[in-house]
Amino acid sequence: MSNDVLEQLKNGLLELDMDTAVEAANSIIEGDDSAAVKDAVGAVTDALQTVGKRFQDGEWFLAELVYAGEIAKDVMNLLSPLMEAGATESAGTVVVGTVAGDLHDLGKNIFINYAKSAGFKMIDLGIDVPTQKFVDAVKEHNPLALGMSCLLTSTDMEIGKVIEGLKKQNLRDKVKVIIGGAALTEGFAASVGADAFAPDAVTGTDIIKEWGVS
Amino acid sequence: MDFKQRILTALNHEEPDRVPVMGLLAEPGTSNKILGKPPLAIASMLTNPELRNEIKDIMNSTWNEVLYATFADALEAAIKLGFDANWTTYTLMQVVEDPESKPGLTLHDVWGRAWEIRADEDGDIVVNYIRGLCPTEEEWDAWVERKKPLYDELIKGATDHHKKLADNYRDRILPIGYTSVGVFASTWQQMGFVNFTRFVYQKPDFVKKVIDFQTDLYVKYLDAIMKSGVEVVIGEDDLGQKTGPLFRPELIEKLYGDSYRRISELVHKQNKKLIWHSCGNIYPFLDKFVEWGFDGLLTMEPTAGMELGKVREQVGHRLVLVGNLDVSYLLVRGTREEVEDAVKKAIRDAAKGGGYILAQSHTHRSVDPTRLEWMIEASHKYGEYPISV
Repeated sequence: MSNDVLEQLKNGLLELDMDTAVEAANSIIEGDDSAAVKDAVGAVTDALQTVGKRFQDGEWFLAELVYAGEIAKDVMNLLSPLMEAGATESAGTVVVGTVAGDLHDLGKNIFINYAKSAGFKMIDLGIDVPTQKFVDAVKEHNPLALGMSCLLTSTDMEIGKVIEGLKKQNLRDKVKVIIGGAALTEGFAASVGADAFAPDAVTGTDIIKEWGVS
Repeated sequence: MDFKQRILTALNHEEPDRVPVMGLLAEPGTSNKILGKPPLAIASMLTNPELRNEIKDIMNSTWNEVLYATFADALEAAIKLGFDANWTTYTLMQVVEDPESKPGLTLHDVWGRAWEIRADEDGDIVVNYIRGLCPTEEEWDAWVERKKPLYDELIKGATDHHKKLADNYRDRILPIGYTSVGVFASTWQQMGFVNFTRFVYQKPDFVKKVIDFQTDLYVKYLDAIMKSGVEVVIGEDDLGQKTGPLFRPELIEKLYGDSYRRISELVHKQNKKLIWHSCGNIYPFLDKFVEWGFDGLLTMEPTAGMELGKVREQVGHRLVLVGNLDVSYLLVRGTREEVEDAVKKAIRDAAKGGGYILAQSHTHRSVDPTRLEWMIEASHKYGEYPISV
């Protein structure tokens, strides 16, 4: 596979051109070469890192972040059947969900998209997740991190309940807790004993990456 | 000066006798606490799935009455606390069966959005947007055709609702007509944010078609509100999220600029004032708001980094500012001293020369009526012109 195709793939993501990115991905899978597919996955990851930086620097906006994530998702869906099982080492497992009483999932899903592209195995518990389901998932998957999303101020106390639930089951020391969502702040994260607050999906991914290497 | 003169003077960027205070009361729970009323009986029924048909029938057959009562209570509560104005809104929703929701029911509105309905811990009704009902291009034309009768009902209901409230309350408070949805919100929320984003890049003609439709409907809806006799209206579109705009401002200009200019022209032709509500971090839009013809800006959400003084510095007196006392902590759990300090700071940052109306940054059911009283008392204490705080 030529580097041109990888460049085309990257450019498709960075220029928000779905057709170009998908065309490049199709050309890669036609070669039926697992090494090439691995390179392509690396190119997607690199491109999304650039997208994330553009967003954090205020050059790009949420819609662009979302659409780049959608392009990456479609490309990865094409590439994944040819990815060798275990060929790409997981950066770690992360359990995520939106807290009980809250049915919003946009921020959570963007986070999942970006963290997946950064190599994390994401266990998505969905929306309106009760405390016990979070606790059970931590027990079952032994993840690096637990991510909780909360858009509504009326449901923010659910996060504290989950953290208390982890403590009761002696799981709190075994998992890092990261929270994000419109209702939350850094101060709130500290007050309920979370390890980190992420103002956006890209920062959230950066934080769990740091946890993964430490 | 009376409440009406006070608000209208501020809206003309002149100094009234004191800083006016506007209420954003709308949540039944807040009004009930202020008025000492019990929650609506129907809210407790929501916890019993066996009553879902009964609830559905009651709500669908009495929608306009329930909505009127909600805002009549909001106005009564605002009068009791001493607000000069309070917003009122009308929307049209239908209760439909939805086995996936906890009460087995979901609200569907005329704009193509689904809302969860539930009772909160105090037994009051809470509704929240959950998803769009028309997520694909293929469904769009049929959707519009099916909903046509509801659009006429919306227009008639909007005039009747606001007129009845204005007629019954204008002697005691200034009701401000709020549209509660915008052209941007009604476009993306009917299909969901991710779908909408995909369509913007992949199907621009379809997006344009939907925006044109929603703009026409919005203009009729806003016109219907103004026909009620309200003198000030609030339009809205949440253009920001916590850290910045949802979409690139140039793209919003391209997609919605003409719609916003058309809306402003409609309001100004009737010699009324248009305040614009937007949540999120919206600094990059402030000059656009002026260019689009808005008279005022409501919200300036502190939790998204919006600061009143900074906004005033950027827009000067080209926009009337309405807000922005915090509803995440200050008006929920803040001390009296903290509330007083925040009021003083807001007055200091924005009130000189008029063009400022003190308000909470957003309606929120956790807001404590006692903190609202403190806010109003502090505005009376420190808000007399000439400003000296």
